[in-house]
Amino acid sequence: MPNSDDFRVKRIHNMLLEMAKGNFFHSLEPSEKNDNIASLVVMLNMVNEEIRASFVHQGFANAHHTPQCIIQLSLLMDANGTIEMVTNGSCSLLSCLPKDVIGKGLTDLMTEISRKKWAKELSKLLKRDSSETVLHLELMTHQGLLLSNDCHISVFKSLDGAGRKILLNTVFFSKGEPFETGRPKKTMKLTKGIKEPKVILGPRDIQMIRDVHDMILNNLEKDLPQLKDLALQMGTNEYKLKYGFKQLYGITIFRCLVQERLRKTRTLIQHSDLSLKQIAHMTGFKSPAHFSRAFKDKYGLSPSELRETSR
Amino acid sequence: MLTSFQKMRKTHENNYAIYLLTDELLHIIYKKVSHIDLKAAEIIVRDRMQLQQGRELPVLCDIREVRNINKPARDYLALEGSQWITTIAFLIDPPITDVISSIYLETHPKSVPTRSFTNKSEALAFLGVEDDYNDKP
Repeated sequence: MPNSDDFRVKRIHNMLLEMAKGNFFHSLEPSEKNDNIASLVVMLNMVNEEIRASFVHQGFANAHHTPQCIIQLSLLMDANGTIEMVTNGSCSLLSCLPKDVIGKGLTDLMTEISRKKWAKELSKLLKRDSSETVLHLELMTHQGLLLSNDCHISVFKSLDGAGRKILLNTVFFSKGEPFETGRPKKTMKLTKGIKEPKVILGPRDIQMIRDVHDMILNNLEKDLPQLKDLALQMGTNEYKLKYGFKQLYGITIFRCLVQERLRKTRTLIQHSDLSLKQIAHMTGFKSPAHFSRAFKDKYGLSPSELRETSR
Repeated sequence: MLTSFQKMRKTHENNYAIYLLTDELLHIIYKKVSHIDLKAAEIIVRDRMQLQQGRELPVLCDIREVRNINKPARDYLALEGSQWITTIAFLIDPPITDVISSIYLETHPKSVPTRSFTNKSEALAFLGVEDDYNDKP
């Protein structure tokens, strides 16, 4: 009984067990109901996303972007969508053995919504000799947990020319911006390596650094005080603040300020009539040139190019 | 109802939300959609900003029908998408939207004063707006 409380609680248990093993890639199917179990499912999904985001840096602080690392799910299928090959990574993500899925239809692993989407798209894709598309699909593991992601689908002619093959690829998940920058090399870079000295952080230090992070976000247009003064104000020393922040958020305090300012400017460039100079000034950038350079570095196009495409 | 009608300046609707704009308030009612993702969040913010035209306003955000909103969408709404908002009151229907608003508020810095309410009059009082208009006559 998919809607019975026992069934739903069992799913929650499965999800928690996966999380206990360190697997934060799954989610649970939300329900239409507005009851306590449904609220627990929503909470678990959201907490799971936040934990996942904390893992790229040292943890203890949730990042306000969705970070990404690389675990690939790859499936090779024939033209009917019958699975011919799976990678080991795919099997562990789907919590199954290769023999459990090889020979089965991909649609057996999909949710109802995805099944409809897949059927509609696939008939279009198969009309051509080769074609590619990106589809957001939800696959379901044997324990009923969801893996939902954008999947890259390539349809191509098989070598003997007799039929078509389908390759499905998706990556859970690469670090960086949720917005396409057109700079794939950059988005795959996980860390610059740990050159900085490690600081031992106690719970109080972690809270203090989180407070600094919140302070930056709430005062984006203002200039940061000197690190020395900021440290004094927060009751710590410059060394702990500087390296502790980098340890927790994976970015220096000043870079963090610039990155967050840029996020604010993005919507203003797209949806306001303010001049780029005004936007730069409002968000605390001293020079429009610096703003433009930093923006292009983050989003892959300059503020004026973005404005052009938004009009 | 007449008062509300007279006060209403603009309305707008997209696939995800209905917007009611008066001189003193923007009322956003999220529709019953299966999932709010980043793309949806971008449209929600785009339409809001186009409606506001740079005017800073308190926002009454009725999220009672929301059932699923993912992290990229939450982050976008909290950071990129919080321009021109002076105060936000979420209208919730526990337990689901209570959980959604609590996690959202706990995990994002509060650059805009935000609170959740189950009662619309209390929400409007928090926003400093008189409770004399009604979206469901």
